[in-house]
Amino acid sequence: MEGKIIVVTSGKGGVGKTTATASLGAALALEGNRVAVIDMDIGLRNLDVVLGLENRIVFNIVDVVNKRCNLNQAIIRDRRIENLFLVPASQSDNKDVLTAIGVQRVAKMLKSEFDYILMDSPAGIERGFENSVVAADEAIVICTPDVSSVRDADRVIGLLYSRSITPKLIVNRIVPDMVAKGNMLSHEDVMDVLSIDLLGLVPMDDQVVISTNTGMPLVMHNQSPAGQAFRRIARRINGEVDLPIQVPSARVGMWNKISQKLGLNR
Amino acid sequence: MLQGFMRKFSGKQSPKDTAKRRLQFALVYDKLEINDTTLSSLQNDIVEVISKYFEIDTESLQLEVQRDNDLSALVFNTPILCVKKNRDFSRESSKK
Repeated sequence: MEGKIIVVTSGKGGVGKTTATASLGAALALEGNRVAVIDMDIGLRNLDVVLGLENRIVFNIVDVVNKRCNLNQAIIRDRRIENLFLVPASQSDNKDVLTAIGVQRVAKMLKSEFDYILMDSPAGIERGFENSVVAADEAIVICTPDVSSVRDADRVIGLLYSRSITPKLIVNRIVPDMVAKGNMLSHEDVMDVLSIDLLGLVPMDDQVVISTNTGMPLVMHNQSPAGQAFRRIARRINGEVDLPIQVPSARVGMWNKISQKLGLNR
Repeated sequence: MLQGFMRKFSGKQSPKDTAKRRLQFALVYDKLEINDTTLSSLQNDIVEVISKYFEIDTESLQLEVQRDNDLSALVFNTPILCVKKNRDFSRESSKK
């Protein structure tokens, strides 16, 4: 059976695309799938360091697309998680070295070898975005609950629709305490504004920084709320569509509970 | 809670409501934005069509998008110099 290509994108930079790609890739592999994560951020690669595989790079996606090496030469196998593979980006080229036709050719090869192929799109809506989207079957849009991120997400959702892709949304870095106090957009507010299907909610979590620092996949930490949220999202992608979406909750004190009841936080 | 209490009775919006309202406005305006090339090619097309029926002053015409809260209007403003009287329909149609 052919694999599925899912692009992870956001428009705005710094909202957690790479973390999400690494986490979902690792989680899907832990579910027993053969997974390839592809870094499409040519010139500014980072998926390799997030996964802790930076010192094993020999060839990269640009080499594969431009036929300087075989696909298998560029694929790096993760030694901690079985069935997780990385194709890194090039750090020296710029985004214009890839062509849509070249990416589609490689995408076809990847689909015959893997169950899931996650494309980590660069920020922006230019050439790099186009190249990440050109072969995608599905798309995941990441946004954080802030005005600029949601606005950019809306733009990207429009661009995906124009390519006949119906994206799903992950709201990242939710701070439940701030949402409870009415200081941060809730996921319902974001959904209202964007009108798109929700795939999952990920709370703000210090462990994300620690995992990135150590290069240890976030989903391997059983204590990490964000890691656990990504594992649930991966199960949802993997066919458990009815798995309920958990709303990150604050440690609610008595006064907050009363004020919520009275509607004072609205 | 105190914050919420204050907001409730001072009639102020919470930051998240402000954010939501601003976002909804921003997205509406973003979608109404038309880029310059589209606008100028639209202008050329309109001029071409109108010129078939009227003599117009192509120098002083204006094309703009006027926005209101919930709708936007395309306003095309041009002085008409005179109506073209003897339009040759057969020539017009054969030109295509």
